[in-house]
Amino acid sequence: MAGPKASTAASKPASSAVDPNAIHSLWKAYNDTTPSRLKLIDSFLVFLMLSGIAQFLYCILITNFPFNAFLAGFGSCVGQFVLTASLRTQVNPENRGEFKDVSPERAFADFALGSIVLHFFVFNFLG
Amino acid sequence: MFRIWRVLLLILSLAILSYARSSTGNSLLVVLDPSLSKDNYSIFFKGLEEQGYELTFRAPKDVTPAIIQDGIASFAHVILFTPETKTYAKDIVPQALVDLLSKNTNVIFALGSKQTPLTSLASEFSLILPPPGTPLISHFPERDTPATVVPIPVSFPSPALTSGLSPVWYSGIPFALGNNPLLVPFLNAPSESFAADTTEDSGADAIVDAAERGGEGLWAGKDMSVVTGFQTIDGGRALFVGGIELFSDEFAKKEVTKGVKSGNAQFARDVAAWTFQESLVLRVDGSTHHKVNETQPGDKYTTNDHVVYSTHISKYNPTTCTWEPFSGLTDMQLEFTMLDPHIRTSLPPVQGKPGEYSVTFRIPDRHGVFKFVVDYKRKGWTHLHSSTTVPVVPPRHDEYPRFLSAAWPYYVGAISTSAGFVIFSVLWLAGDDRGSRRRKGAKAE
Amino acid sequence: MRLLCCLPLLAAAAATVHASALTIQNARFTISSSDATQLRSEQLSLDSTSLPSLSLGSTDTLKLTFQVVEKDGGKGVQPHQTFLRFEANGEEGVQPVRVTSGGKAKFELNMAKPPTSLPPTSTSPVQVSLLLGSYKHSPASLPLFSLSIPPSAPVSPDSFAPLPEITHTFRPEQKVPPKFVSAVFSAIVIAPWVVLLGLWSTLRYSTPHLFSPHVLPFVSSLAAFEGLLLWYWIDLKLGQVLLYGALLGLVTVLTGKQALGAAGDWRVGKKQS
Repeated sequence: MAGPKASTAASKPASSAVDPNAIHSLWKAYNDTTPSRLKLIDSFLVFLMLSGIAQFLYCILITNFPFNAFLAGFGSCVGQFVLTASLRTQVNPENRGEFKDVSPERAFADFALGSIVLHFFVFNFLG
Repeated sequence: MFRIWRVLLLILSLAILSYARSSTGNSLLVVLDPSLSKDNYSIFFKGLEEQGYELTFRAPKDVTPAIIQDGIASFAHVILFTPETKTYAKDIVPQALVDLLSKNTNVIFALGSKQTPLTSLASEFSLILPPPGTPLISHFPERDTPATVVPIPVSFPSPALTSGLSPVWYSGIPFALGNNPLLVPFLNAPSESFAADTTEDSGADAIVDAAERGGEGLWAGKDMSVVTGFQTIDGGRALFVGGIELFSDEFAKKEVTKGVKSGNAQFARDVAAWTFQESLVLRVDGSTHHKVNETQPGDKYTTNDHVVYSTHISKYNPTTCTWEPFSGLTDMQLEFTMLDPHIRTSLPPVQGKPGEYSVTFRIPDRHGVFKFVVDYKRKGWTHLHSSTTVPVVPPRHDEYPRFLSAAWPYYVGAISTSAGFVIFSVLWLAGDDRGSRRRKGAKAE
Repeated sequence: MRLLCCLPLLAAAAATVHASALTIQNARFTISSSDATQLRSEQLSLDSTSLPSLSLGSTDTLKLTFQVVEKDGGKGVQPHQTFLRFEANGEEGVQPVRVTSGGKAKFELNMAKPPTSLPPTSTSPVQVSLLLGSYKHSPASLPLFSLSIPPSAPVSPDSFAPLPEITHTFRPEQKVPPKFVSAVFSAIVIAPWVVLLGLWSTLRYSTPHLFSPHVLPFVSSLAAFEGLLLWYWIDLKLGQVLLYGALLGLVTVLTGKQALGAAGDWRVGKKQS
């Protein structure tokens, strides 16, 4: 996940060893420093990842037939994840310098258009 | 009064004309060597005339009537009763005779023991003739005829021959048959017979010498044929007879055993009937194909379709001169081919539908241009060939099964992503920017 | 009348009946192996009702000697036709045998170099008989023995016989898992909604513009778009969805412009205040 890593980059070097304390402080730092709008996005990303994993498991464990349906279902999760992640990078205030010309509204318009096109292909392919 | 007679005569002649037995025509040219008398074969020729054939006689050196006029065969059938003729008029050459056969004209060749153009032509038809001057000899059974006049039992089970024929008197040469499937043997030499040119017991050594010399070996035993047909790929039929005496009145009247007439007359009629395409003549009337539960033929089929293929076969009936539906073929096969046959299945007759043969099969799961091929070739019978091209296509994109239970999780996944997107968009647009603004402001300071 | 007719015929037939029949005597066969050791040697008797059975290996040699004689008198003669006939499964082969003028004959069959006259054989034995034919004597056909020899190479079948059937091997049908399993996994795929809603509910996230006239048309058109795509999946054709999509797209662009413009204003406005 790109979100938490980017937003907690500052506090990360302090805890190189993996121990419950470090994870806890990481979580705390994320909770405190991340705007709720980005948390909204992060939750959605988690949701997408989980449903993608569930479909992948079904494909591996039970059946990959019809394969086009798997590609459509799994691809919708992955594609939506990518689009959402790029929305997150563009609206993240910390990246303001990088995306000077892209307003959050423009980023959302791109996101919406991309999603509609993605879903068109997904349903086209779902069979 | 005269007019009425004329009309009656015309009707009568028309009736005779329509009485032609052959499926290909009733004009028959008999090329008869001057050394042979027409009267010696009167039973055979009369029989043909009674059947409705119009016989025209000609000597081999006569110029008219030509056998081929302007590239068109002048006669439907030709009999070459010229076993010892060495020179012919210039229209009768081996090439012209082969031409005749390829024009669906039927020819009877009577061979002799001398070397003639016909004997060399016979070897082109996969007949292996003995050296000149070696007739068929049999000392069995003990009888009062010369050893070269042999009674031959008709043991070959050919559907063209009347069953239960008496033995046939034969005098002439035997020939070995090459490995050619187009040959149709009708009468084979007896087991005890052989070809030899000696007329004394002291000739025994010569026979052994000839056999040991190798080459073609000895012409002996029941693998030798004396009357053999040949059906060309195009359907023209030829008949090779090793001795013309088979057709003679003398042999037809001669008794084989006391009180039992020989089978010559009937045998000659049967083999002539086969040669002149009266018997064992089949044709394909038509073939159709359609999907199961449909009646219209499809212009293309989808892989895995179940398809019905049917064909209709008729057999020529020489007694009524009509084509009649024929259901007697039990070993017909249908091939469904794309380069190679993908399916070969038997095409059985349909019960209760005369002449109809039908089979239902599942089209392979390979797409491409396929052909329904019926290629029926059996010795003696007309070759049947029927080929129908039909494209086989994969299912169209909307012909696959949909909403499968196996794909439920994927459907659910796609729909849930879409729903998630809408709800996320609502929340995103409905939310305000305060939090981020505040934090951003703090950072800027 | 009929009888009178037949009489001369009968007389003629009687006159031509040959003086004496032919037979053989001192018939003897010897089977030896390739290294010349004698395996079996016996006198052949024509009178016995059952024919002797002989067996030859692939390198053995059969030697047959006999003398052709007149049945009455026993004088040795050389007939016109002295053929050995091999018969197996309807196939036939004829082998002429050289006979001296005294009637003595010798025949050798070497299985290492079988003569071409030997018919194609399978496992069943070959029936061997002797054919004697002559211009002066009555003919004779004498069964000699049955001979078991190694089977020859199979002959190629008639090319005009029915061909072997060909069936197409279809790809196996796709296995469909039990509906229950699919249903369970569908539930698992839906399950992340619990996580999503749970996470969102923990956020302190206010939605003041939820029913704002600026935002509502846009989110409605986005939802309509998703509905259209779902409808497309269930029923619509591509052409239809492109047409409806183009119309809806136009509406969405307008509503989107308005909504995002408003959002921008709120953002900028809040910042300025």
